[in-house]
Amino acid sequence: MLLVNKISSPEPFLADVVAIAHDSDLALLKVRDLNFYQDLTPLVLGGIPELRSRVRAYGYPMGGQELSRTEGVVSRIEFGTYVHPGIDSHLLVQTDSAINPGNSGGPVTQSGRAVGVAFQSNLRLNDVGYFIPVPLIKRFLSDIKDGKYDGVPEIGVETSSLINPHFRNYLGLPENSSGILVDRVIPHSSADGVILSGDVLTKIEDGQIDVAGMVRYGEQQVTFFIEAENRQIGDLLKIQVWRKGKFHNLTLTLKAPPFGAEMRNNYDELPEYLIFGGLVFMALNRNYIHSPGNLTPSLAYEHWYRELERPRTRREQAILITRVLPSSVNSGYTNLHNFIVTTLNGKSINTLRDLDKMLKDMPADTRHVVFESEWQKMPLVLDYKESLEQQQTILDRYGILAGSNISVQKDKGSQ
Amino acid sequence: MKIKTLTLYLFAWMLFSASFVLPSVLRAEAPAIEPWFQQAVLLKSYQQSYDWLTPWEKREIRTQSGMALVVRLPVSENSETAGSPTKQTLHLLTTAEMVADATLIEATRKGIRQPFQAKLVLMDYAANLALLNIENLEFWDKLRPVEWTPVKSKKKPDPNNVYSLKIKSAQEWEMESGTIQLMAVGHRDVSDSWLPLLKLSGVSKSGQGFPLLQDNETIGMILDTGSGEAKAMPAEMLLEFLAHAGRYPYQSLAHRGFRWRRLPQRSTADYFQIPPEKPGIWISRVFPHGTGADVLMRGDYLTKIGKWPLSHDGKIQHPEWGLSLFDLLFLDQLKVGDSLKLSVIRDGKSIVLQTRVSAYEEDGRTVPLKRVGHPPRYIIQGGFLFQELTLNYLSMWGANWRSRAPIRLRLFLEQNEAVMINKNNNIIESTSGNKTDESTPRVVLVTQVIPDKLNIGYQKLSNAIVLEINGRQIQRLKDVSEAFLFPEAEFHRIDFLPGSDRLTVVLPVAELKQANRRIKQNFRIPKLQSL
Repeated sequence: MLLVNKISSPEPFLADVVAIAHDSDLALLKVRDLNFYQDLTPLVLGGIPELRSRVRAYGYPMGGQELSRTEGVVSRIEFGTYVHPGIDSHLLVQTDSAINPGNSGGPVTQSGRAVGVAFQSNLRLNDVGYFIPVPLIKRFLSDIKDGKYDGVPEIGVETSSLINPHFRNYLGLPENSSGILVDRVIPHSSADGVILSGDVLTKIEDGQIDVAGMVRYGEQQVTFFIEAENRQIGDLLKIQVWRKGKFHNLTLTLKAPPFGAEMRNNYDELPEYLIFGGLVFMALNRNYIHSPGNLTPSLAYEHWYRELERPRTRREQAILITRVLPSSVNSGYTNLHNFIVTTLNGKSINTLRDLDKMLKDMPADTRHVVFESEWQKMPLVLDYKESLEQQQTILDRYGILAGSNISVQKDKGSQ
Repeated sequence: MKIKTLTLYLFAWMLFSASFVLPSVLRAEAPAIEPWFQQAVLLKSYQQSYDWLTPWEKREIRTQSGMALVVRLPVSENSETAGSPTKQTLHLLTTAEMVADATLIEATRKGIRQPFQAKLVLMDYAANLALLNIENLEFWDKLRPVEWTPVKSKKKPDPNNVYSLKIKSAQEWEMESGTIQLMAVGHRDVSDSWLPLLKLSGVSKSGQGFPLLQDNETIGMILDTGSGEAKAMPAEMLLEFLAHAGRYPYQSLAHRGFRWRRLPQRSTADYFQIPPEKPGIWISRVFPHGTGADVLMRGDYLTKIGKWPLSHDGKIQHPEWGLSLFDLLFLDQLKVGDSLKLSVIRDGKSIVLQTRVSAYEEDGRTVPLKRVGHPPRYIIQGGFLFQELTLNYLSMWGANWRSRAPIRLRLFLEQNEAVMINKNNNIIESTSGNKTDESTPRVVLVTQVIPDKLNIGYQKLSNAIVLEINGRQIQRLKDVSEAFLFPEAEFHRIDFLPGSDRLTVVLPVAELKQANRRIKQNFRIPKLQSL
C-alpha cells in the first residue's frame, strides 16, 4: 500500500505505481482520488545545475510533519553507483545540502525549477548527498510513454585508460588523438559484434573521448557512457574506433544492460526456491550474496569471477543449497550451508527451473539423487523414494505452504 | 593436668598419623626447583619478520621471553647437528615460534647474570620445535639434559596433576600446578599439520619452552599458553623429534597423508557401495606426502589403520588414551618407517594396502604455507612489484586475513580446480598432487606499482594476477625474469587475469633500465630482485 500526504490535508491518499525504474531509482505514482491534485501545480524541470551553484532540497528527513528545506551548493557532477540497484552507474549530482533518510524522492530545486530528485547520501562522509539529475528523469518519463519501462541502455564494454603515453605509442595511436582501450566486450550487449576488444574508442557521437574515457558534457567532463544513458533502447549511437592502425566509424543499436537480473538488487519479487528432501535450493543473486555471512570466496567466484575468467563454463544460474530443513532423510547434512550444486545424477543444472524439472522427471526406479559440486569433493546423496515420501511431512513440519514457488514467478528479464 | 596429657596424646597421635599421611601429601607437593637450574634456561629472542608488502624491508623488532630445555641428541656421524662445538651433543630445545625470524637469541642461566648468544641449529616449524646451540662452552658447565618420561595416561593413578615452572624474575623460580585436560590431536593452521598435543588447564604463568612435569618426571614441553589454558608437546613426540634431529637429512614427525570426511548418512554409504554399518572414513584428498599418500586414492573408504579399526568419526581405541582421533597413533604406536597396513573399501571391494609410516612434509601447494626465516621473493620492473601469492603475503591483512584479504586471492586457498588459471583460462592440473615446490604452479601477482613517470596511468593497479608477460605464460616468479628477456619489439607487455583493474600494460624497453635505476634510488630499494 502506498499512501501520499500533502501539506494542506491531514488525510493520506492512496496511490499506485504507474511505472518503476529500479535501474535509476525512479518511480511514477498516481493518486487514486483526483481531488488530491486540486490546488497542486506541477514542478517545471530545469537543467543540470552549474558546479558550485546553490540548490535547495525538500523532504521529510527522519519523518516529521513539517516540510524541511535545506540549502547547499553543487559540489560535483559525475557518474556514480546508484545504491538502489547496486550495480548500475549513472550521472549523479553531489551536493552539501543535507540529504538524509526521508529526503529520498523529494525535489531539489534551483531558481524555482526542479533540477533533480534527492535519492542517496554517503553516510561515511559529512555533508555529501546526491540527487538524480533532470536528464535521467526526462529519459525515464520518455521511456514509459509507451506504457512500459525498457530501461537505461548500456554500451557493454569494459575499458582501461590510456593515460600512459607509452601505451598509446604501443597501440600506434596518432599523436593528436586520444581515446580509451576496450578490454572486454560483454556478450549480448550493444557493442557485441560491433566493437572488438583491443579497439580504442576515440569518438562518441561528435564528442572526442579523452585518455581517461571522459567526454565534454556541459561544463563538466564525464564518462563517455553518458551518451548511451541519455538515449532509449533501440536508438542508434555513432562511435569511432582506432583498430589496427585505422579509424573506423561504427554504429551501435542500443540495448538494455546484458547482465542478468541476478546481478542487480531485486525488489517486489519473492525469492525463488525449491525444496526437495528438506534441501532448500535457491539461485545465487545479489540480494543473497550480500546477506550476512554469504560473501564467501566460492559464492563470489560463481557470482562475479566465473563470467570474467571462464565464461564458457558459466551456467545461467548458480544453484545453491542455502539450508537444510532437518529430517531423517537428510540426517548428516543438516549443517550444510551454501553448497553450490553443479550436477544432479551426472546432468548439469543450468537453472532452478531445470532442477525442478529434472527432479520431477526422475525415473520412478531411481535409488539415489546425487548432487555434485565443483567445490566439494564429496557428493551429496539422498534416498530418492524416502525424499519423496517425506516431502509433505517436511513442508508441514516447517510450516511451508509449497515445495517450490518457481511456477508462480514471472519470467525474468534484465529489468 | 588431664587436659595437658590429652593435648600431648593428641600431638603424639598427629605425629604418628602424619607418618602414614605423608606419602600422599608428598605426592601433591610441588617438585623441587633446584634440578631445573641445570636443565632449563631463560630465553629471550629478538624477532624481526619480513614485510611482505614492501618485501625489501623488515618489520618492527619484537621480543619474546620463554625457556629452553637442555637436551641430549643421539650421537650420529651424519647428524645435522654434528660438529657442534659442545662435543657432547647437548643442545637447547624450545618452540619454533620462540625463535622464528630471530635476529638475536639470548639464553640466561640461573645464577649467571651474563646472557649467552644462542644459534638456531634446526627448526621444524610444522611441529613448532627448534634446537639451539651455544658455542661458548662455559655455558654448558654443569648443565645436564632433561630425562623424558612418557605421559602417564588416565589408566594410571592420579594422572592429571602436572607442574610447570613459574618465573617471577631471573632469580625467582617457582612451580605452578595445573591439570591435564586431555591428550588430543591439535591442528596447526600455519602448516596444516595434525599432531598429538596435551591440553592443560591452570598452567597460566608458564610460557613457551617451559617443562611439564608429572610425578616429578618430565613429560613434555609447553608450546603456548593463554587464558589459563596451555598446550604442550608430549615427551614421546619430543623424543622422536630429537631422534630425527640426530640424523641427516632431518625428517619431520610422523603424519597422516590425507584429508578425510565422515560419511554423512546411510544413503551416501549405499551410493559408494560401502556395506551398511561398516565404520570408517572417506578419503577426500590425498597429499603428496605423509602416511598413506603413496597408496590411498580419493574416494577410498578407510576402515582400519594397522590393527586399529576406525570409527565413523575417525577415532580409534588407543591402548592408553581410549577413544581418540587416529592421529594419536603417531604418539607412541606408529613411528616413521614402520610398516603399516591400511584396510580400505575401494569401488565396493575390500582391499589391504601396504605402506610405511611417513613424515610430515610441506606439499606443493599453489599458495605455500607459512614460512619463516626466508626473505620474501620479488622482482621489480618498471615499478611493477611482482610477488608470488603466499600465506605470508595474505597474513599481511592482519589476524583476520581470512575474511579481510582480497576475496579473489583467498579463492586460491580453496585448492579447487575451478579457480586455477592458465594461459587460456582453462583448468590446470590439480595442484595438490605435486611432490615438490619446483613442480607446483604458483600465482604471480603485481602486488603494487611503485610510482614513477614510466608507469603513470597504471599506479592504481594492485594485487593483479599476472597471466602472461610478452606472450609467455607466468606460473612462477622465475618466469617473470625470463619473460622480460623477450620483449615484443620495443615494448614489454603484461597481461592480467580478467577482473583486475586493467587487463594489459606495456613498458617501453628503451626506458626500462633507466626507470629501474630511478625507482631503486628514489625509494631506497637495496635490490630490484630477490629470488
